[in-house]
Amino acid sequence: MNKKAGPMFYVFLALFVFLVMFPFLWVLASSIKPVAELFGDRAFIPFTDNMTLENYESVFVNYPFLKYLWNSLVVSTITTVYAVLVASFAAYAIARLKFKGKTFILGLVLSVSMFPQIATISPIYIVLKNLGLTNSYLGLIIPYTTFTLPLSIWLLVTFFRKIPFDLEEAAKMDGASLMQTYWRVILPLAIPGIFTTAILVFISAWNEFLFALTINTDDAYKTVPVGIAMFEGQFTIPWGEVTAATVIVTVPLVIMVLAFQRKIVSGLTSGAVKE
Amino acid sequence: MKPNLMPNNSKPIEAKTKTKNKKKLSERSLGYFLIAPAMILIFVIAIWPVFQSFYYSMFDLRLNNPGKSEAHTSYSVNLHTYLDNYPFLMNTLDEEIGEASGKTKEELEAIQADLEKIDSELQKDSELKEKYEQVDEKLMVMKPVSEDLAVAELDKDIALDLEKTVDETTDRVRELKGELKNPDDAIGLSSSLSDSVITPNFIGLKHYKENLSDGRMWKAISNTTVFTVISVFIELVIGLAIAILINKAFFGRGLVRATILIPWAIPTAVSAFMWKYLYDGQNGIVAKAFESIGLFDRMTDLLTSSNGAMFSVIFADVWKTTPYMALLLLAGLQTIPSSLYEAAAIDGASKWKQFLKITLPLLKSSILVALLFRTLDAFRVFDLIYVLTGGGPANSTETISILAYKVMFAQTNFGEGSALSVIVFICVAIISMIYIKFLGRDLLNDK
Repeated sequence: MNKKAGPMFYVFLALFVFLVMFPFLWVLASSIKPVAELFGDRAFIPFTDNMTLENYESVFVNYPFLKYLWNSLVVSTITTVYAVLVASFAAYAIARLKFKGKTFILGLVLSVSMFPQIATISPIYIVLKNLGLTNSYLGLIIPYTTFTLPLSIWLLVTFFRKIPFDLEEAAKMDGASLMQTYWRVILPLAIPGIFTTAILVFISAWNEFLFALTINTDDAYKTVPVGIAMFEGQFTIPWGEVTAATVIVTVPLVIMVLAFQRKIVSGLTSGAVKE
Repeated sequence: MKPNLMPNNSKPIEAKTKTKNKKKLSERSLGYFLIAPAMILIFVIAIWPVFQSFYYSMFDLRLNNPGKSEAHTSYSVNLHTYLDNYPFLMNTLDEEIGEASGKTKEELEAIQADLEKIDSELQKDSELKEKYEQVDEKLMVMKPVSEDLAVAELDKDIALDLEKTVDETTDRVRELKGELKNPDDAIGLSSSLSDSVITPNFIGLKHYKENLSDGRMWKAISNTTVFTVISVFIELVIGLAIAILINKAFFGRGLVRATILIPWAIPTAVSAFMWKYLYDGQNGIVAKAFESIGLFDRMTDLLTSSNGAMFSVIFADVWKTTPYMALLLLAGLQTIPSSLYEAAAIDGASKWKQFLKITLPLLKSSILVALLFRTLDAFRVFDLIYVLTGGGPANSTETISILAYKVMFAQTNFGEGSALSVIVFICVAIISMIYIKFLGRDLLNDK
């Protein structure tokens, strides 16, 4: 269906993009309004004459928002590195080596990735509490394995399978051992796939909510999603700060998505599309 | 976006010679060696907890109740709690006896005698006595007592006896309240002493029985089902329409793709809060828009009426995940060769006919995979509803995950909460089995 796009198509496209982006644009417009203009009649006027950054300032001054960002960054980065590393060995074995029970293992990995988090939370919470790991980075990194590891294995298997087998055969002919083949031949070719996997795993760890909400209740260890969700004051919701915080979280994501969109799309659709 | 072309794998030549057999064996053991760390982690951190949840669900497990904060299958006594209270209770009673006279004095002495009797009963067991003394010594010098040392198993009869004596003590002291100098001290110590008896909190399938006959649980299941079916259906229809429309060469594809990805990439909790702002009954622009087009009578209906809240939650979910659905389906569409459509067009098939006869059948497995992932995601929805409505108003958007969370962490009733989470797990398992049946083994096959 490679037809040329007509003018009506672009009108539709513009409308679609506008609808999807509207909430962000509105929140962005609200975040630079003075608090008084977020309420009453002025609440529905997108533009303000008194542009201000006081909401942004307040997010960092009145809330430990920088701490939340740091916590999220630490937890997501460590989780990503370790999950992708462990998964890359398993995925290589599943995709390239011959041994029994591969289909079963892949099935197991897929089913685990579909486990509802709520089904694992009570034992995980109790164990972490008994080990004194609640309110710590490790307290999130450990449970995040439940979804990051299956996701990494699943994605990496599809990427490893795409590497032509001939190369591996050739390396074997030349007398390379399996580990040498892995490090010298497979891994360099798999780097783009590993990178894509890392992006997706990072996003999923960054966005996680239920474990973060229950395990790290202390402000010093809260992650961004929980931190923002808890912005709620006792009587009123500080909308000015909420909109500013939302913008702060969204902007890096927009940049990341713009930079890596091709990779993200290839990761999201791999495994979902079969010939 | 390139379709995923699976390479034609050239199968390694069957090993026949001895050396090759050896190589194959080493390849196999290397395979197991490489998957071992991942498998162990998955087993310990993901699979074991599911079984453990099921185990917990058969206990009356309450984190805020010291006697029920763990799963116990047998009777035992926490000597730490016991010795933290017993000697002081005796002292307090001594003091009261010194002050009292007549009947009160007699009654207090009787209470003391009963307590002493059960205390010596407790120490009859040599193993227990040893622990008893060790704990006592440590407490004297204010050293920490480990859980292992503190908890000693008890004979059922002694445990019940101890519990009964202590409970009776509390009641008897309470009756003497008017006569005593510091009755609250004695009552307090005595009721803390009763916490030292640990009775088995195994209750079998009682949580399930109660939940299955509980209206709130069924309401939560039906809310979850309504949310899942409606939102996934709308996402599929709109997603498919968008995928078909943008499946062509046009200017600005990158921009559109990025637009599609942003709602997906932003944390659900954050986007839920954003929607809460847009839905706000006084200042929300979306609420205002819905009111002015007549979708709702009043702006406040959106988050404060039952139907409005369900609508809001579904609308926010559709906004967040339709683009993702479109993306998955678009990838599937791009694997359909355009020659098929050209041939169909030459044969005079209408656009609609082409859609029914070419697009849908060839897209079937992509649609099923997308539906599988989306249905399971929607069924375990938590973040969105937790932040947007908290399950309200009047539990009208309370899904099964939200209910399980509330029971576990707000009521600290981990036993019942685990039972609910096992129910979620079973539902998810059933849904996946149904899909897998339709999908067959496509999803997992090796090639």
